[in-house]
Amino acid sequence: MREITAVVLENKRIAEETYCLTFACGEEIPVRAGQFCMVGVKGFPLRRPIAVCKAEGERITVCYRLKGAGTHVLSETYKMGDALSVLLPLGNGFALSEQEKRVAVVGGGAGVFPLIAAIRQYAPEKELFAYMGFRNRAAVCMEYEMRRGEKLVLCTDDGSAGYRGTAVQALMEDWEAVKPSAVIACGPTPMLRALKSATGGKNVPVYVSLEERMGCGMGACLVCVCKKSDGQHARVCKDGPVFEIGEVEL
Amino acid sequence: MADLRVTLCGVELKNPVIPASGTFGFGREYNEIYDISALGAVATKGLTLAPRLGNPVPRIAESRGVILNAVGLQNPGVERFIEDDLDWLRAKTKVIANVAGSTLGDYAAICKRLNGLVDFLELNISCPNVKCGGMAFGVRPESIEEVTRISKENCPDTPLIVKLSPNVESIAENARAAERGGADCVSLVNTFTGMAVDIERRRPVLANNTGGVSGAGIKPIAVRMVYEAARAVKIPVIGMGGIECAEDAVEFLMAGATAVQVGTRNFTDSLACPKIVAGLDAWCDAHGVKEVSSLTGTLKMN
Repeated sequence: MREITAVVLENKRIAEETYCLTFACGEEIPVRAGQFCMVGVKGFPLRRPIAVCKAEGERITVCYRLKGAGTHVLSETYKMGDALSVLLPLGNGFALSEQEKRVAVVGGGAGVFPLIAAIRQYAPEKELFAYMGFRNRAAVCMEYEMRRGEKLVLCTDDGSAGYRGTAVQALMEDWEAVKPSAVIACGPTPMLRALKSATGGKNVPVYVSLEERMGCGMGACLVCVCKKSDGQHARVCKDGPVFEIGEVEL
Repeated sequence: MADLRVTLCGVELKNPVIPASGTFGFGREYNEIYDISALGAVATKGLTLAPRLGNPVPRIAESRGVILNAVGLQNPGVERFIEDDLDWLRAKTKVIANVAGSTLGDYAAICKRLNGLVDFLELNISCPNVKCGGMAFGVRPESIEEVTRISKENCPDTPLIVKLSPNVESIAENARAAERGGADCVSLVNTFTGMAVDIERRRPVLANNTGGVSGAGIKPIAVRMVYEAARAVKIPVIGMGGIECAEDAVEFLMAGATAVQVGTRNFTDSLACPKIVAGLDAWCDAHGVKEVSSLTGTLKMN
């Protein structure tokens, strides 16, 4: 975990309400797929937790959707050469075992971005089947990154690109053909709930990356908790953001 | 190089900069970023006798220049702290154990348990985010005096800091009440009760509806309250509320604080505390101040 002042290399719109921000760390910082960083935005006391999408040497790329005032300011004011306050790498990330060879990758909305990191990391050693959901064609981005695996099914709510329906529906239609040995997923809570109920009887591990409003990002302030099945609280930033789906209440 | 040491209730701190309770856990996470032995002391996450789960999420919100939190005293309980973290933390720096309770008996018991084990106890009677206890003890002078007296009776060997709420009629009156009850020091301000609204959902952002407001935006109010409290009592004062840099800390020292706590800024910059320590040194050098302790209470009123 490092506190750095990075330099913005690029901050560009890549799809509807979606931006891609690349910064230079000054040195190589190892990042696992599913880990995230806290990005400072001038004038805002809280940094924004954003999943790492690509880590290439000292260059880190994160993608974010415009959500509130902070992400708007981030998209409008940060240009090449600007200093950027970043805390990284944070969280546990995905940790697939050697036995988990055929992996279904299920993403929705901004949840596709940490999964792109997972596809980049695991494509050389595993068979990956990606089901990526977007609102519509205008929101689709980074398709080439998602094609590194065995298969990509793009899904849109309105059918304007690819499969008409949700990523979870597309995965379940494919389930018997693919027979995954593990599932990794990230997306809005309703998507994760649907995934939990759809995969409930399958006896396959499902690893989900959660999102929550955060304070420190490193496990100290106890702001971003989720409820575990045993009634205890886990810190999304430090104990997660990746949990086995049975471990947590969604 | 200025002398940054300050003495608080007979205990020497290597500098007056202390991360505030609730923003710093028990120090382990920040110690991955920098060696926290650089800090004057650490105020721990608020501890209770039994473990607490805290409030539902969202527990945090943001507004211009401030944040709101409603964590609700989630903590592993005092026994786990003693077992897992206390020795490690004491080897790093001075330990201020922040403690809370729901009843007078809770305060007595937790003070008794920690008496002699930590460098200071900080009585949290000002948490705005729990239903019973917390701030219920921290509003009226009579109850402040009572909870302070019972706590002090149970921690005769450890200096007792009473952390004051700003959500009160008279901060001076309440500081005096703590002093009468036997407090060795007061710290202020805890957070201001506030609310942030999600207008699309017509609901408060925080699951708890209200939360404690902290951050740069509260600083002028906090400085004024520290000034009023410091004038009202003879015991030392720890100042806090929106400190972001060394110059902010100097304001609090001049207003009457012997040491300062830094909370919200840790979220914006995890190196905030060591930067403030370095900045105090530089400020003192630039202004010919040989001892940072000489700044305390030197404000000249217009």
